Amino acid sequence: MYKQNITKTPKAAALAICAFLALVTAACLLCLWHTGRSSGQLTAEVYLDGELLWRIPLDQVETPYTLEVPGPQGCCNRIEVRPGSIGVVWADCPDKLCVKQGFIDRPVLPIACLPNRLVIRLCPAKDSSASHAAPDAVTY
Amino acid sequence: METKKLTFLALCATLSLALYAAESALPPLAPIPGFKLGLSNIVTLLLLRRYRPRDAALVLAVRILLSALLFGQPLSLLYSLAGGLASFAAMCLSGSILQKKLPLLIGAMGGLAHNGGQLLTALAVTATPGVLAYLPFLLPAGILTGMFTGLCAWLADRYLPRGPSS
Repeated sequence: MYKQNITKTPKAAALAICAFLALVTAACLLCLWHTGRSSGQLTAEVYLDGELLWRIPLDQVETPYTLEVPGPQGCCNRIEVRPGSIGVVWADCPDKLCVKQGFIDRPVLPIACLPNRLVIRLCPAKDSSASHAAPDAVTY
Repeated sequence: METKKLTFLALCATLSLALYAAESALPPLAPIPGFKLGLSNIVTLLLLRRYRPRDAALVLAVRILLSALLFGQPLSLLYSLAGGLASFAAMCLSGSILQKKLPLLIGAMGGLAHNGGQLLTALAVTATPGVLAYLPFLLPAGILTGMFTGLCAWLADRYLPRGPSS
């Protein structure tokens, strides 16, 4: 009886904890998916080496155009701006991860090209002033 | 407290501090502020598994104070304390209902609580609701990194010789 108690309790507790963790993860994913979808007007921000180069309101773009970003070590990226989305179409970096990431139209994950130190992020147009504000210090 | 145990716990605090220092020398894994592996939590998990919560809490407090003194800015002590307290409470609680088994899950709870506690502190300190945008990233990240440290603690528990008895 006592032995049974000892072996059974952790199993139920483990299941409960697993369920709790799964629930939290699911809620977070749902939240990310929701913020990704509900954004109407987006502003793209292009950073090179941490400095903001351009801020492009994507809803005002009518015809696609390209921008060239020269990098510090001779690396170069060509960005294409389309109505509602932005992406890197060509790069001379070795792995071309930024090109493979394709076009982004959601403010969830930014495009980053590490060899060129280029970051393109999207943020909702209305509160872009609040959300692009960099923290004074990052401590943890 | 017995001298042997005091020495052992001091050694654990040093190990934890060394893990913390080694981790802060690594490049960040993801460009999300607050995202980290939390390697020094391995020591806390191991002590929780082998000794009483009091001993683990002591080592954790020493590690947090020393790391804030050695590496930190003034505010980092607050964030460290909030994360440490939250994760310690979560790991104690889940450890007692799991009867110290399954360190993977205990670690996951600890990581989750650590990131949650830290983000709530950041919310209170900066008074900007915008930091909550990191919550959906940081909570699953805490679960994943917590599982990793839990795995490390489990392996450490298997291979490290036993210290002085509690």
